[in-house]
Amino acid sequence: MTDVVFPVISQSDPDAEGTLATWFAEDGAVVAEGDLLAEVAVDKVDMEVVAPVAGTITLIEDEGAVLRAGALIATID
Amino acid sequence: MSIDTTQQPATEGDPAEQPAAAPATKRLNTAKAMVEAIAREMERDEDVFVLGEDVGAYGGIFSSTTGLLDRFGPERVMDTPISETGFIGAAIGAATEGMRPIVELMFVDFFGVCMDQIYNHMAKIHFESGGNVKVPMVLMTAVGGGYSDGAQHSQCLWGTFAHLPGMKVVVPSNPADAAGLMTAAIRDDNPVVFMFHKGIQGLPWMAKNKRSIGPVPTGDHVVEIGKAATARPGSDVTVVTLSLSVHHALDVAEELAADGTADVEVIDLRSIVPLDTEAIIESVTRTGHLVIVDEDYQSFGLSGEIAARIAEHDPTILKAPISRVAVPDVPIPYARPLEYTALPTPARIKEAIIGQVAPA
Amino acid sequence: MSSRIDAAVQRDLYDQMVLIRTYEEAILREYHADKKPAFDIGAGLIPGEMHLAAGQEPVAAGVCAHLSRGDAVTATHRPHHFAIAHGVDLNRMTAEIFGRVDGLGRGRGGHMHLFDPDAHFSCSGIIAEGYPPAAGQALAFKKRGTDRVAVAVTGEGAANQGAFHETLNLAALWKLPVIFVVEDNDWGISVPRSASTSVANNAERAAAYGIPGVRVEDNAVEAVHEAAREAVERARNGGGPTLIEVHTLRLWGHFEGDAQGYRADLEGVPGKDPIPTYEAALREAGILDDAAVAITRRAASDTVESAIAFAKASPEPDPSTVRDYVFA
Repeated sequence: MTDVVFPVISQSDPDAEGTLATWFAEDGAVVAEGDLLAEVAVDKVDMEVVAPVAGTITLIEDEGAVLRAGALIATID
Repeated sequence: MSIDTTQQPATEGDPAEQPAAAPATKRLNTAKAMVEAIAREMERDEDVFVLGEDVGAYGGIFSSTTGLLDRFGPERVMDTPISETGFIGAAIGAATEGMRPIVELMFVDFFGVCMDQIYNHMAKIHFESGGNVKVPMVLMTAVGGGYSDGAQHSQCLWGTFAHLPGMKVVVPSNPADAAGLMTAAIRDDNPVVFMFHKGIQGLPWMAKNKRSIGPVPTGDHVVEIGKAATARPGSDVTVVTLSLSVHHALDVAEELAADGTADVEVIDLRSIVPLDTEAIIESVTRTGHLVIVDEDYQSFGLSGEIAARIAEHDPTILKAPISRVAVPDVPIPYARPLEYTALPTPARIKEAIIGQVAPA
Repeated sequence: MSSRIDAAVQRDLYDQMVLIRTYEEAILREYHADKKPAFDIGAGLIPGEMHLAAGQEPVAAGVCAHLSRGDAVTATHRPHHFAIAHGVDLNRMTAEIFGRVDGLGRGRGGHMHLFDPDAHFSCSGIIAEGYPPAAGQALAFKKRGTDRVAVAVTGEGAANQGAFHETLNLAALWKLPVIFVVEDNDWGISVPRSASTSVANNAERAAAYGIPGVRVEDNAVEAVHEAAREAVERARNGGGPTLIEVHTLRLWGHFEGDAQGYRADLEGVPGKDPIPTYEAALREAGILDDAAVAITRRAASDTVESAIAFAKASPEPDPSTVRDYVFA
């Protein structure tokens, strides 16, 4: 099982809170490595989260969740 | 008229036993869907290039060009000065020489500073030259309100552009159609005005309807310009609409189906020029009831045009007068309660539909 | 008179100007022929507005001498001289002016909307709005790695329109191979330059955009030829745009039907006609004599009358085709 985590967006403030703005992947979907999973935002900087491996994804956090870098947002089996 | 499938089956299969086949679709927001369509066409045809304000490193104010600069470089993704007449006119000239520019007018509300190039040149050169000079370009522009951007930054104005002959006008409501219509627009030898509502882009920094994210076919995907789609089939009332209002109409339709009030058919116009009159008439002939939802100003525009076409065809297909849910003839106010009174909200749409099926 | 220019080129310049003048005189004749006794703008074989370029021949002849067919020219509501000098199909141009199906625009455009894609020639009736598309053509030429150039023409009045300034900035910024030509004939319609323009001449304005600006003060074809030579060379060699302003002469009204009551200097105007002046100079240099002049005039007349006959023989468009050509 592989963790998918909220990325570091702000180098100057790595502990900053951000939001999980959009889930593109649906819970239980089969994803390929590199597939677009989500878009997250810290302030007005947006970042895409892509699948680190192929497999079946289980979503942990909901859209709109306020999180910090490193927080677990999904797992891929 | 096509039946729109909002879901295509995902590829099934146990990943441990077989390699995953390439999916038929992938889930994107409307902004990314547009960008991917542009990128595909830029790969396919080196005459396609993009220009506009902040389309380069910024990726477009509403994310219409994100990532294109990195992929294609500054010669093909060109930031311009604040000179709409200058750079839209330049796009026109380049198009007459056989290039296929995609030029962005940042907000449709800015058309005042460059409308001559648009309606007197871009739209008329083909006609004035007796068909001898083509202008194969896309004018893409962000439209719509609902996030308190005020009177000069919240308009839709598709009625204005549609009124003037010589340019096609397309208005997608969802990611798949945005990609398909962008591809069709780039390949079309005519000037196509591609109007995307900021509220359907699926941006992280603006409230979004869940349908701003949806499946987009991978591979060559074209949506024919001039063809509406049935976003939801129904039998009691026809709602003809476009852009963000499609999502609101679908939300209302689901609600009214759940409590048995009405079975609502939602027609997503997708294009205004050409307008799919046949699709509208076919639907209204069956249901006898028409609600037009149009986020442009009510008078002298799209909603009146649709009503006129019904009346010209056969007004007796109507069992009740037409309802129009549009922006009243006022500049769009800044204060949220006022703005949300002016916009064609789900509440107003619901009221209009109920009024059709249960007249006083 | 320049000694740098070949006698053959001088002869060509003269012939070109005579051809243009002969054409404009013929159109003048045809335009007014059936608008008598009282002028009715909508009547006759050539209805509508008519803007003739008599007196401005030196600008077109001098500039276009340096162009080939692959170069682009965008002209104004007064386009005939540039169209002729750039080699637009004269028969089809004339048919278009007469509104016939064999016209450049199949009768859809008329005299202010002449498009000849083979010669990359276009014109527009909106003041200054031909500048941005010309820059766009130059952009396409540059992107394709050619040494082709675009010539954008306006009058001096247009230099106060937004499109003029936006385009100069954009072309300078992107170093586009475009030559901006301003024909200063002293008059907007009835408003003189002194009442419209904040600077003494528009060549000065080039400095605001960081590009060279050249003012050709006398309406002399060889002076135009020399200024254009440098500007075209600069553009072809990747040196970017130039602004050339020529102080030229509008021999007739702004449009046909313009009584020019506002024009105090009207009496002295015919005396400034550039063609007799150039003819006299070439005669003195031994390049022209009576026989040569007669040949030139005869050739011009034959070409022009033949074009007019072609136009008159072409049918008018069928009303049932009114919706054609809106879209490709």
